[in-house]
Parts: sequence; structure tokens; C-alpha cells
Amino acid sequence: MAAPAPTPASRRLKTRRWMGYAALVPFLLVVLAYEFLPLAQLLIDSLVGKESGTVGVENFTKIFTTPLYQQSIVNSVWISLLSAVVGIVVAFLAARFAYESSARVRNAFTLVLNMMSNFSGVPLAFAFMVLMGNSGVLTILGQRFGIPFLADFDLYSSQGLTVLYVYFQIPLATLLLLPAFAGIRKEWREAATILKATTFDYWFKIVIPNLMPSILGTLSVLFSNALAAYATAYALVMNNFALLPLQITSKFKGDVQVDAATGSALAVVLIVLMVVCTLVNNYFTKRAAKGREIV
Amino acid sequence: MSKKARTAGDKGAKTPLAAKIFLGVVALYLLIPFATTFVYSLFVEWTDVLPSGFTLRNYTELFTNATFWLSIGRTLILCLVSVIITIALLLLAMYVVVAVNRKLGRFMQFACMIPYALQGVILSIGIISLYTGTGTLLSNRMVMLFGAYTILVLPYIYQGIRNALNAIDAEMLIQAAEMLGCGRFRAYVQVVLPNIISGILVSSLLAESIVFGDFVLANNIAGTNYQNIQVFLQANMDRSSGLSSAIVVIIFLVVGAVTATVLKLQSGTQKSQKE
Repeated sequence: MAAPAPTPASRRLKTRRWMGYAALVPFLLVVLAYEFLPLAQLLIDSLVGKESGTVGVENFTKIFTTPLYQQSIVNSVWISLLSAVVGIVVAFLAARFAYESSARVRNAFTLVLNMMSNFSGVPLAFAFMVLMGNSGVLTILGQRFGIPFLADFDLYSSQGLTVLYVYFQIPLATLLLLPAFAGIRKEWREAATILKATTFDYWFKIVIPNLMPSILGTLSVLFSNALAAYATAYALVMNNFALLPLQITSKFKGDVQVDAATGSALAVVLIVLMVVCTLVNNYFTKRAAKGREIV
Repeated sequence: MSKKARTAGDKGAKTPLAAKIFLGVVALYLLIPFATTFVYSLFVEWTDVLPSGFTLRNYTELFTNATFWLSIGRTLILCLVSVIITIALLLLAMYVVVAVNRKLGRFMQFACMIPYALQGVILSIGIISLYTGTGTLLSNRMVMLFGAYTILVLPYIYQGIRNALNAIDAEMLIQAAEMLGCGRFRAYVQVVLPNIISGILVSSLLAESIVFGDFVLANNIAGTNYQNIQVFLQANMDRSSGLSSAIVVIIFLVVGAVTATVLKLQSGTQKSQKE
């Protein structure tokens, strides 16, 4: 900058301006040390071949050709998708009914949702063991009264994992969907009735399309929430299950030797899935906000 | 939004029966696992249809267990220290956004939302594989754990601080103070900070409950070296189901109390905003 000879005052202002940035330094250091560098480390490790030691996609080739890792990715995506879809269907109905209810009922229900949305991870896994484990309360009931579904329910399997995942998806999904229902106007129903629309038409041609951005946005949050869930699964089946987060962790920590190359490559697969979810969610959140403005 | 919700509530003053039944079933489904664990913790055994032998033994055993209190203490230290570090880092950094260069806001948002997208597993293994065995202070498990928690709670505290700053229009406040001859940093500390403290409180409490409920980071980074309450629970699950059920109840009550406080504070601010 071709400025005239700086006066002491302007120089002081400049130093102060520069000094202002100093407040950012501690934050930058911590974020660099515990967020960006660890991510970079994973990325680098994933690209350095385990056997060859050269840069390339060797680790990824190995992942996508090893049955255990293939199965882990498939299981993770499948359980996450299934629990997200079941969660959103229940949440949609719950949000709809809560919206039609009196303020007292709605507040009580929201309180239950808020309280139980914290009930996840190890405590949740334990509670389900008490309920449906090998000598669980429901299992015993099932045996006594001859209900094979309860008596023979195997909690320590993908079936059990799905039940647990669905459980922690429902409160989260409902809390995320409830605000969207506030955008549905009572007049629409009246207008639809005047125009001789059936109840089916009203829900499937008016309400659901209108809520679609919120529904899809919530779905992607639920999907990534299940994809990254670790504590619930670990408490239930330890590392003995083909699930992405469990397999990743076992490569860095556990009885076997540390295998950073494979672990990092698996982690990168998980990162990519999560980032896609976040982008999808951002897209739909923007759409949802826009939609409401028009209305 | 809150206004809309209120008018909707006024219109639907009567709850349809179908709504009552469905919401009741969902609420019951959500409450049953915890309720069962709670009842389970109060009885000697539950090997038949009904539990038998009421007892408080599980709780007395838990409360006289030194390891339990140690793990509670560790968890509280982790909660408090990491949340305080994050608040301090973000308050300093947000000063730069508000008073020096607001273009940095985008970067701050990016850096603070990454942990939200990645969550615990990735964060913990990234940190382990970067620092383990480097033989420096950074390879200390405790240092790693505090670093990890600081990052874990970034999104929540960032949102809280940003919303609070927006709500009081911090930039304008600083400009006004500057016109009156006050330095920018001084204006930030003496005018802006006192006004956003209550706004930060809610998000900090939320962050506390997240650290309190964390298992992934504690287990992957510190493991048995520094057991927090969740790792303590996991370690006891195979050994004694009675004791574990009591731990689950205690964890739920603590987190529930924090959540209730957050909800109360939130509804309080909403009310004052309406007025």
C-alpha cells in the first residue's frame, strides 16, 4: 500500500489491528492440534499401503475385497438406514399427533422426548440387556407365556442392534420434526376439504410434499447419527461384530496389533459417508428454510 | 416459530383419542427400558415374571465404592475443565470475528461444525494415531483426552456464543463503546461479555451433559487408565448387573437434572423475548 508516511497514531492503530488477531491464536492452535492434524494423519495413513509402504489406494482395495470389511460397511449402512427409516416414520406420526394435541399433552410428550433422547450409549445397551437379554425380563415373560418372538429374541445380533438404534432415533427424530409441523396451516385442510380432497390426498399431496425437505434433512441426520454410533454397539457386542465403527476402533485399540493403515482407510470410508450426509442435510435445511419463506 | 406453535396449541385445545393413544404408546416405549432398569436396581432378583426382595443394597454398595466416586470425580473434572477451556478459546476467537474481521466468521463456523459431522470415533482414533508414542507431553493420555473433549463440545458452545452475540448485536455495541472512547477489546470484555453470559450458560450445560455421557473418547483414548463414569459402568456390566443398574439410574438422574435445567432456562429466555 502506497500510504503517506505513517503518523504515530496510524501506526499504533495498525499494530492494534494486528494485535487483534492474536486472540485467534489459542483457538487456532487447539483446532489445528486436535481437529485438523488428526484428520490429516488418518488421511495420510490411509493412503500409505500397509505392505508396499508406497502411496496409493492399496488399503482401500484391501478393504473392498476383504469379506469382513465389506460386511462391516454393508451392515453399518443397512442398520443405519433401517433404523433411520423406522425412526422417521414413527417420528412423523408422533409429531403429527403431538401437533394436533393440546398444549398440555404436547408439553408432557416433549418432556419425555427430551429426557429419553439422553438415554443412549452404554446405559441404553444395559437397559436392553435387562429387558431382552438372555435372562431379560421380557425374555422370561416370553418363555412363561409362550411368545416365541420375545423368548427367542437374540439381542446380541444385527436384529438387536437395530432395535436399540431405532430406540435412540425416535426421540431425536421427533424433536427435529416437531418444529416443521408448525408450518402446516389449518387453512390448507379447509381449502382441501372445500376442493373435495380426500384425507389421503390431503396428507400425501399437500402435507408430506410440503414437509419433504424437513423429512429428508432429518433422515440424513438420523442416518449419520446411527452410522457413527459406537458406545451402544460396543457395550452390546464388543468388537466381535462386523460394524464400521467397531472395526475401525479395533484396529487402533484392542487385543490385536495396531493396524493404522487398514483402520485409517476404514475411517476414511466412514468420513466420506458422514460428509455426504452432512452435505445432504445442509442442502435440505436450506430448502426447508426457503420453502417456509414462500409460505 | 414459538408464536405459531402457540396459536396452533390454542386451536387444538382438545386432544383427539387417536393422538392420546399413539403418543401414550410411544412415551411408554421410550420409558420402559429405563423404568425396568430402575425397578431392577431395587430388587434382589428378577428371575420370574415379577421381581422379588426389595432392597437398597445396590445403592449402598455403589455409594460406598471408592472407584465409583473416583470415576464421578474424574468425569466432573473432564466436564468442567474442557467446557471452560472451550468457552475461553471461543470467546477470544469470536472477539476477532466481531471486532476485527468478520469475514473470519465463515472459517469459525467451518472449524466448529466439523466435529459435529465427524463425532467421537473418528476424532478419538485420529488423535491416538497422531500422538501415541511421540514421547512428548502431547502423548500423555490426559492431555489427549482434554484436547479431544475441547473439540467435541466446540459445535454446541460455538452455536451458543454466536446466537448470544447476534441477539445483542455485539458489533453495534462495540462501535458505540468505541465512539465513547473505549478500546475495542475493553468494550468486548466490559460491555459485550456481561450481556452474553446467560446465553452461554445454556449451551455450556448442554456441553456438560455431552461430556458426561461420553463413552467413545474416554474409552478409546484413556481406557482403564482414567475411567470416567461411562467406562466404569461398562467395566461393571459383566461383573454385577445389580450394581450396574444402580449406576445407570444415577447417570440418568444426573443428565436428566441437567436437561431439565436447560429446558427451564430456555423457556425462561423465550418468555422474556416474547415480552
